[in-house]
Amino acid sequence: MLIQPSINILVVENDITILQRCRELIIDEGHRVRTAECIEEALDIIQKQPGDVDIMLLSLELPGWGGMTLINTLQKARREILIMTMSDNCGEEAIEAMHAGAYDCIRKSFTTDRFWTKMNRAIEAFRLRRQLDILTRQRQAALTRVRHDENLFAILQSFPDGLVVTDWQTNIVLFNEKAGSLFDLTEEKASGHPISVSIKSDELLSFFIRAIKADSGLGRLMVGEEPVVKVGEKALRVHVYPVKNETGTVIGAAGLFHDVTTVSAMDKLKSDFLSMVSHELKSPLSSLLMQISVVLDGLAGDLTAKQSDLLAKAKEKTKGMITLVNDILDYRRIQEGKSIQKIESLDLAEILKRTIELMHLSAEEKGLSLTCEIAEELPSFSGDRGGMEAIFVNLISNAIKYTLRGGNVNVTLNKAGKDIGFKVVDNGIGILPEDIDRIFEKFYRIKTEQTRSISGSGLGLSIVKGIVDAHNSAIHVESEVGKGTTFVVSLPAETG
Amino acid sequence: MKKVLLVDDDVDFCEATKLLLESKGCEVVLAYDGKEGLEKTRAARPDLVILDVMMPEMNGYDVCVVLKADQKLKKIPVILLTAVDQALFKTTYTKTMGLMTEADDYIAKPVEPGELVRRVEDLLSKK
Repeated sequence: MLIQPSINILVVENDITILQRCRELIIDEGHRVRTAECIEEALDIIQKQPGDVDIMLLSLELPGWGGMTLINTLQKARREILIMTMSDNCGEEAIEAMHAGAYDCIRKSFTTDRFWTKMNRAIEAFRLRRQLDILTRQRQAALTRVRHDENLFAILQSFPDGLVVTDWQTNIVLFNEKAGSLFDLTEEKASGHPISVSIKSDELLSFFIRAIKADSGLGRLMVGEEPVVKVGEKALRVHVYPVKNETGTVIGAAGLFHDVTTVSAMDKLKSDFLSMVSHELKSPLSSLLMQISVVLDGLAGDLTAKQSDLLAKAKEKTKGMITLVNDILDYRRIQEGKSIQKIESLDLAEILKRTIELMHLSAEEKGLSLTCEIAEELPSFSGDRGGMEAIFVNLISNAIKYTLRGGNVNVTLNKAGKDIGFKVVDNGIGILPEDIDRIFEKFYRIKTEQTRSISGSGLGLSIVKGIVDAHNSAIHVESEVGKGTTFVVSLPAETG
Repeated sequence: MKKVLLVDDDVDFCEATKLLLESKGCEVVLAYDGKEGLEKTRAARPDLVILDVMMPEMNGYDVCVVLKADQKLKKIPVILLTAVDQALFKTTYTKTMGLMTEADDYIAKPVEPGELVRRVEDLLSKK
């Protein structure tokens, strides 16, 4: 059996008989005991030798200065002392004392058994508390050690970005100069206090909590990549990550803050401009497409074969430009972290059915067979409706684009383990291995003899990737040149 | 012959679309702003109204609201067209659900001609 160190117990009681009895019981059990007959004496002991008292056994019926006041004072000054109370009847006052922080109450008419049942529980609680304290201090020490390493600290201080490190309870343990000026932090106000006290941003607090609890699954929240947070007048690009010790235990979180105030003002200008231009382009393109279609359909008089041919090409180019404008708008939204507009419970089967309806026309035009299988019962899923539509539309239209006349495109939506799997399989021209890694890059388009006539902006797949990432999902590609391509998106089903 | 009223301030779009819908056997009446659209709906009693959203005088939403509040006109199906980017449009669509659901269908610009014909035929055959 493990031998536990003995406990120092201070008994405060003015009834000498009870005082003596407690003293004997405690000594018999091998613990150390001190006694005090009044509050003043007890306070004197605590103040002079604070480490000498682990547990205080305090009578609630002391004359003069009542026991309650002492409990309050002690709670404020010396939290590490565990207080047990003793009273004649363990009534109202005992309950009040427990509210103030006392651990339990022993009736003064105790038997030896009764006394130890309660005291042993208190001793156990005290030991647990002390262990926790030691652990806390160890964890904090690990993080603050950096502060004592002059070179390391100098490096952190001269960092151009703000750095704030918290322990695993979100108390600030370290911050550099830049962070100090960004958030107006001072050593006295910030260090050792919860981050929420000195940095008033619930959003930032949530990033730290999520980083600390990254292992517990709470981290699985939807985030845009590198969120920009407004703190006061400043726009900060934030990156918060868990800090782990050698054993892999999370001991805190570190946040890096890059000031993008000026950059984000420029970004907004750029994006507003882009958005305006795109919208201004859409209306005339709409007319152009309609006009060409009508002439091409012979509604404005008969056409020669050559005229039809030229117009058909003009129509394709117009459609390509429309896609480009749409993609630029979509891409801009994703860059602004707006790819997720609203998270709601979605009926993926219904959304996919509608998408397939829309795509049937273009598959027919190209002489392809487009088939779709949707599992009867799908797990529930929450996400952004527009985002899901964009994933479906982009992947299916790509499959149609890059599959030759007479080919097949097969779409399935079903349960795949814990996830919902969305799969698009085609027997089209396929992708070369060296291109596969790059297809999700923006504006990347594969240039071959076969793809030259296919119009596209090169943004479709990077849009899909952006949405997939924002939904904590994954996308995989398998492809063989001349055989076909398979895209699989795994969407996390809701648990519980 | 079914009568379709097309309301859009883009004259080129109107003329081309008119040809397209006429080829599908519709009679097409044109109006170039919201007010004119509303007047022509009252006068011509079309079987279907296609409304652009962004127009001078009165925008498409407002025209739709007035139409749907009129006991005599509210049965006429309405398709809304918009050049506003699609996601934005959908958010607006959800935000103003009460108002927007009053339109029977909506199509984002640039309109795919085949798609427009399909939606028009759908609504006309329902009547």
